[in-house]
Amino acid sequence: MKALVRDIAVAAMVCGTLALTAPEAQAQSRTPAGRPAPEPAIRVRGFGEFGGRTFTASQSFEAVLGSKSGVIFGAGAEVLAGRNLFVSFGVSKFQEDGERVVVANGEAFPIGIATTISVVPIEVSAGWRFTGPRRTVIPYLGGGVSWHKYKETSEFATADEDVQFTKPGFQLLGGAEWRASRWLGIAGEAAWMMVPNAFEGGRTSAAAAFEEDDLGGAVFRVKVVVGR
Amino acid sequence: MRPFVRSSGPVAPVALLLAAIVAWLSTTAAQQPERGTKQIVSDISAPGIDRGLRDADFPRFAPRSSDRRWISGGGAEYLRDSLIVRFKPGTQTAAQRALLAQVDGTAAPALSYADFDIVTLGSGEDPAAVARRLSEQPDVEYAQARYRARPMFVPTDPLYTLQWNYPQIDLERGWDINRGGSADVTVAILDTGVAFRGGTFRYNAIAFPGPNGAQYPALGPVDIPFAVAPDLGASRFVSPRDFIWDDNLPFDLAGHGTHVAGTIGQLSSNGMSGTGIAFNVKLMPVKVVDTEWDFIFNSPFIGTDDTVARGIRYAVDNGAKVLNMSLGRDGAPAPVVRAAIEYAVSHGAFVAVAGGNEGDGSNATERYAEFAPQIDGMVAVAATGRDRRRASYSTIASYLEIAAPGGDFLRGGATGGILQQTLDLDRVETFTLPPSRYTAPRFDLFADYYFEGTSMATAHVSGLAALLMSQGLTNPAAIEAILEQSATDLGAAGRDDEYGHGLINARAALRGMGIAR
Repeated sequence: MKALVRDIAVAAMVCGTLALTAPEAQAQSRTPAGRPAPEPAIRVRGFGEFGGRTFTASQSFEAVLGSKSGVIFGAGAEVLAGRNLFVSFGVSKFQEDGERVVVANGEAFPIGIATTISVVPIEVSAGWRFTGPRRTVIPYLGGGVSWHKYKETSEFATADEDVQFTKPGFQLLGGAEWRASRWLGIAGEAAWMMVPNAFEGGRTSAAAAFEEDDLGGAVFRVKVVVGR
Repeated sequence: MRPFVRSSGPVAPVALLLAAIVAWLSTTAAQQPERGTKQIVSDISAPGIDRGLRDADFPRFAPRSSDRRWISGGGAEYLRDSLIVRFKPGTQTAAQRALLAQVDGTAAPALSYADFDIVTLGSGEDPAAVARRLSEQPDVEYAQARYRARPMFVPTDPLYTLQWNYPQIDLERGWDINRGGSADVTVAILDTGVAFRGGTFRYNAIAFPGPNGAQYPALGPVDIPFAVAPDLGASRFVSPRDFIWDDNLPFDLAGHGTHVAGTIGQLSSNGMSGTGIAFNVKLMPVKVVDTEWDFIFNSPFIGTDDTVARGIRYAVDNGAKVLNMSLGRDGAPAPVVRAAIEYAVSHGAFVAVAGGNEGDGSNATERYAEFAPQIDGMVAVAATGRDRRRASYSTIASYLEIAAPGGDFLRGGATGGILQQTLDLDRVETFTLPPSRYTAPRFDLFADYYFEGTSMATAHVSGLAALLMSQGLTNPAAIEAILEQSATDLGAAGRDDEYGHGLINARAALRGMGIAR
């Protein structure tokens, strides 16, 4: 939890910094007559996000955590190049507590040992924003690569028994952004992540028992975008 | 049916003699006109005497805790805000301070019995990283993080160091997760009985012919003393039942069942003998195997398939959650036993059955074990020696599912067996002496013996299953699954006919599974 708070705080600082620098650039570009200047070719925006994530390895997550999905929080920044192209950088965190299990005949039996699972994807995506004159809702599509830091700790475990690894993956995403004001937008976004071969190796695992090896899944999130 | 055991030292040479006597006696069984009885003479007895080594130490359990003062690294934990530094002799105090200032460190007041300094860090930097930097300084002899020493639970029993079998299955670290199970789990020991209570009982010993034509006289009515095995503890036993004498006094007249019970649940860290695996669970002695003294005392029943089947059903109906069957037979199939085991598993009991001791002989199919692959929640157990290889006697078969330490005198010598407390066999096997020295036995004296056999291996599996049950894993199929999935693969990769899925691993089994490991 402390790590989560720290991550969010860092993200918030990034957002804040970006939000403060963007208006300054805009102010310098105003014409003497006070009319808004054309939008700059490069714009930087920050965002915070929250939402839900559901995992492709549904049986494994459901066995250990009691659910195949959970809440995520995150933050990031994006660069708009011209009116349509965007590149975004984001980090989010999923963390849930559960109980280690035994899997027999496709059924999971809890064994009374507490465990905590966290997944932190770092995403780099690029895409296209379908802008238009006077359009306040801007749909967009994109895709990119990501790195997923997975951590599994449990009661009684020595350090070498806990699990921590980072696996690469990729994602496709789409959403729509509603401009609430000149500086604030709210976006709804869905993403599909694929992280193949994440759980390979080790026969004593729920993932092995259920023959699931993909750490990806679907993400649904709301982004609060600060910046033009 | 027979118990699956071999014993070492002075016991081993008489094994053939015992077998001959049993065979001889069996041929004369039909000639006995009446069945014997046992009458209670005294319900009290002196405590059993253990002739094994003694010590007088108290258990000292290793404390555990987990908090944020610690950093995990390199397979261990170390303190977050300080480290250990040893400066080279002759280093000036000012130089020490200057060095420590570079890492925002302050030396704590000197400690007794320490030729090093404890340095407190003000920077919040990782002490392991600081230690690496300091170690490179010419004035520093060594620097290291303050790694936490965390002793594993190691029983203090004086003979524990001779019980090589527990470290072999990573049980000490298993006990860190589950220390001996809980009293709400009952393990039934279907065997020759167990030394579970004291008293004096009157039997009538009949005459019998010895193997060399010698005639052993009828001793007539004899008062036989019994005592509870000191390292099992009298309060551990529930619902005892004797299907050989058809009563509730399943005395062990041979030592096999008591030895097996010892592996499953001998008391721990009580300054006596060795230890068992699940030393907190309840034990249910169910006698379904007759031995020499049962015959000489003219027991009304003998241990046949139906006796075993009844014993299984009795144990389940009286609350046993783990059934240890260190017994078996070859010959024709045993559907009545299979049906009883299916009944047990369907009622939530896990069953461990010995895989057989015929690996160096006929390698005959063990009829009580052969159907294990068809029943989820029942396992057939092979035996390993001290060298983690298949014990020379352990049967090789397609029905074997798991292996456990059973001992192997052939490769491991006299101490290569499984050591537990049981009856003092010098006072039990008096029928192996010449007729002139033949006397009534005593069952109130105990000693620690090395036995070998898939009987002993089976007891390990039952003990571990009892720990898993204590941890809330009550589904027999799930217990079998985790035993097999967590086993250390030996022999050919994957399941094979020597080790099944491999050697049980207590730590791995008790940890269960996370998503990734």
